[in-house]
Amino acid sequence: MLVRDCMTRHPIMAPPTMLATEAQHLMHENDIRHLPVVGDGKRLLGLVDRMSFALDPGALPSLDLWEITRHLSRLSVMDVMTPADSVATIPPDHSVERAARYMTEHGLSCLPVVEEEAVVGLLTKADLLNAFQVLLGLPAEGVRVTMRMPDQPGEFAKLTAVLGRQSWGVMGMGTFPTPRREGFYDAVVKICGVGVDEVLAVLSQVTGQEVVDIREVV
Amino acid sequence: MSTVPVLTVENLAVAYQTRGGDVQAIRDISFEIARAQTFGLVGESGCGKSTTAWAILNFLGPNGAVKRGRIQFQGQDLLGRTAEELRRLRGDQIAMVYQDPMQALNPSVRIGEQMKEVLTVHRGLSDVAATRRCVAMLERVYMPDPEDILRRYPHQLSGGQQQRVVIATALLNNPALLIMDEPTTALDVTVEAAVLDLIAELRRDFDTAILLITHNLGVIARTCDQVGVMYAGELVERAAVADLFADPQHPYTQGLLRALPRLGADKADSVLYPIRGRVPLPGNRPSGCLFAPRCDYAQELCRAERPALRLLPNGAWVRCHFAEEIDPAAWVPRDDFVPPRPQPAASDSPPILTANGLKKYYSLPGNSLRDILGLGEKRFVHALENATFAVLRGTTLGVVGESGSGKSTLVKTLIGLEASSGGEASFLGFDLTGDLSGRDTALIRELQMVFQNPDATMNPAYTVGYQLARPMRRLGIVPRSQIRAEVVRLLESVRLGENYLDRLPRQLSGGEKQRIGIARALASRPELVLCDEPVSALDVSVQAALLNLLLDVQREYGTTLIFIAHDLSAVRYISDQVAVMYLGEIVDIGPAEAIFAPPYHPYTEALLSAIPSPDPLARQQRIRLAGPVPSAVNPPGGCRFHTRCPRRELLPDGGRICATDIPPWRDADDGHRILCHIPLETLRALPPVGAAPTATSD
Repeated sequence: MLVRDCMTRHPIMAPPTMLATEAQHLMHENDIRHLPVVGDGKRLLGLVDRMSFALDPGALPSLDLWEITRHLSRLSVMDVMTPADSVATIPPDHSVERAARYMTEHGLSCLPVVEEEAVVGLLTKADLLNAFQVLLGLPAEGVRVTMRMPDQPGEFAKLTAVLGRQSWGVMGMGTFPTPRREGFYDAVVKICGVGVDEVLAVLSQVTGQEVVDIREVV
Repeated sequence: MSTVPVLTVENLAVAYQTRGGDVQAIRDISFEIARAQTFGLVGESGCGKSTTAWAILNFLGPNGAVKRGRIQFQGQDLLGRTAEELRRLRGDQIAMVYQDPMQALNPSVRIGEQMKEVLTVHRGLSDVAATRRCVAMLERVYMPDPEDILRRYPHQLSGGQQQRVVIATALLNNPALLIMDEPTTALDVTVEAAVLDLIAELRRDFDTAILLITHNLGVIARTCDQVGVMYAGELVERAAVADLFADPQHPYTQGLLRALPRLGADKADSVLYPIRGRVPLPGNRPSGCLFAPRCDYAQELCRAERPALRLLPNGAWVRCHFAEEIDPAAWVPRDDFVPPRPQPAASDSPPILTANGLKKYYSLPGNSLRDILGLGEKRFVHALENATFAVLRGTTLGVVGESGSGKSTLVKTLIGLEASSGGEASFLGFDLTGDLSGRDTALIRELQMVFQNPDATMNPAYTVGYQLARPMRRLGIVPRSQIRAEVVRLLESVRLGENYLDRLPRQLSGGEKQRIGIARALASRPELVLCDEPVSALDVSVQAALLNLLLDVQREYGTTLIFIAHDLSAVRYISDQVAVMYLGEIVDIGPAEAIFAPPYHPYTEALLSAIPSPDPLARQQRIRLAGPVPSAVNPPGGCRFHTRCPRRELLPDGGRICATDIPPWRDADDGHRILCHIPLETLRALPPVGAAPTATSD
């Protein structure tokens, strides 16, 4: 799964001349938290998020109400955005995990996806969480089973061989090193079209592996 | 992330200023299109489909203006902004594909320059980078040899290729919204199928929202998620595609579906029901429900009060007072509708027209000096090759094929607009091989023609009565004193009244003009009428009425018809015999029901599977022909279809024989003949094309 597969395409974008108040309204209306600012040819100029609208008291001569209003009414997106050179971006052909790591490392909640200098999409935390659900097969009904297996080659093949013999369809899958147990791996597999008992009966026969968790989930 | 629709149109009303005051073109149009969704707008011509699209693009011209309503694109208003703001806002996010690709492309600029312009101007890309992207995009729309295409001029591409270039150009900037106005109307059915496949695929890949405007319900069924049916500037029904076709709510939608010839239907067991009347002109719309004058269910309330677009329990929006009470299944035609009663085709009647090996070559002027001196080798366009067929008296021969297949040449040769280059053709004992100048008046009288475009074939300066009387005078059909009575009789036979006598062509609607065209062809009481695409330019409801009229005329006068059309459903509906032409050759000929059922000629099979079926649930086989039609100057050797034949690999040796030997005529039962190397048993074993339910009957 690459960035291009899970990003939001055709995000709402703002021209640099848009008033900050208008941008705020637009983000509120559409319930979005990030607004890329683009010039001609969708070239990224900056990024506006909800924090951008925080009033900078230093920019005001006084805290007079009229003074504030006047200041706000003149403020354009250009003035409040984080400029492009300090916005981290990602190309669409990077892997999702790399994007996720980048975002967690730098504490970002959104990455504009840029290809040949044009913004082609937006990758947000919400998109990554969506991708996560899809990877584990959430949208479809089925049995979710967690198998614990020793960390050595050939173990996973055992599991797939059993699945293959039963002609069961797998809708989602993920493996990860078992927390707090060295030398073991957990594999979460979502199987469709069968019942919990049937799956348990068949998978508990797999030698050297253990059914850690099994549940029927929607 | 956000669930806001890409495009929201709310209560849109557009008016055009004219000298007679504002004319309201559309009103109360509301719909929205979500990301990666296709919304279809369908309706007859003059219903305001294109005006809606132009309003979105602010493209209404100097006299058009949005009077009311809102258009929101990605949550931002498009109306009431300056041109510069609009350009920034819309920028490269909305793209449009027009009906005629030749008009969208500049004929004097190479394809490459036109495509690159989008990137270099809008995005400021370098020339090299722009070229690279254009090539990639052309590959994406399956254009062979994209580098070469970039160097060509638009006229060097076929219609389908041009439209692909236009679509590729529209997608270069990765727009969020693509507006397509009749993108496939100007294309052949096989090309149309490929373009529709492409649209569906691109929508998936690019997540583009598409507004598709078309009059073809089949196209809607194949590509759209949501449909809006427009009538006289209003949206009368809005629903999901499957619901609309399975359970149409508005009487107009029901009428449209009844007027549509289905592929499996023939004239013996089905009737097309036209919608009576015509779309009211914008300045002349009734005050109540706009459809009331044409509606079979209209009541007092409909004429008095305009219905609002309201939500029905099944999720469809409909503009009708009585939508819940109307049951389309219980619909019966009005008393004054007389269904056409086609006479049973008498298979024992004598052939009225026989052609044997009829040929027509056009010589091609060369431009080298040798050619000019007459020394060069003569080259010919093989427009018609070895046409052999017979038409029985009182029956209809349908002729189908892609453009350039020689359908019109066949008709022109028969009627004498062109002299044939070889072969024989005889009609009632007359020889038809020469051109018109050498023909006897008696022959001309018996052989008449209905043309495709009634606008271009009627003299705008003469009244209808004069135009109908002229052939009678010229050919001496009736004594001069009776001409007027005869003209009136003719008008009545095409369901028009005496009051049409003094009208000029511009006072007639398209359907009425074509009726006059038919009447004019019938004026000399001919035995054989050649119809060259007589209904192609007309709306569905009018088309149904004309097909019925042709059937009636045939029954009344016992006229024999040769009916050319590219719409296979219409051909199937009206014909007894069908001939399928490819590159100047008849490849498949026989009774209509046999042509539309296995065994198929591979070309017929491909044509059938390409028709967009007006049923979103129909699972059609997808057989797509690769590549363009080869040139008729140098037709492929052996079987002419071998370069594109999808069934060739059924033969041993990968069908090498197809490229070398001319295929034999294979006789299936009851006069069905197929020109193909593949044995009949193999062709029979192929599965029937899904859209033809009668296919399994034999």
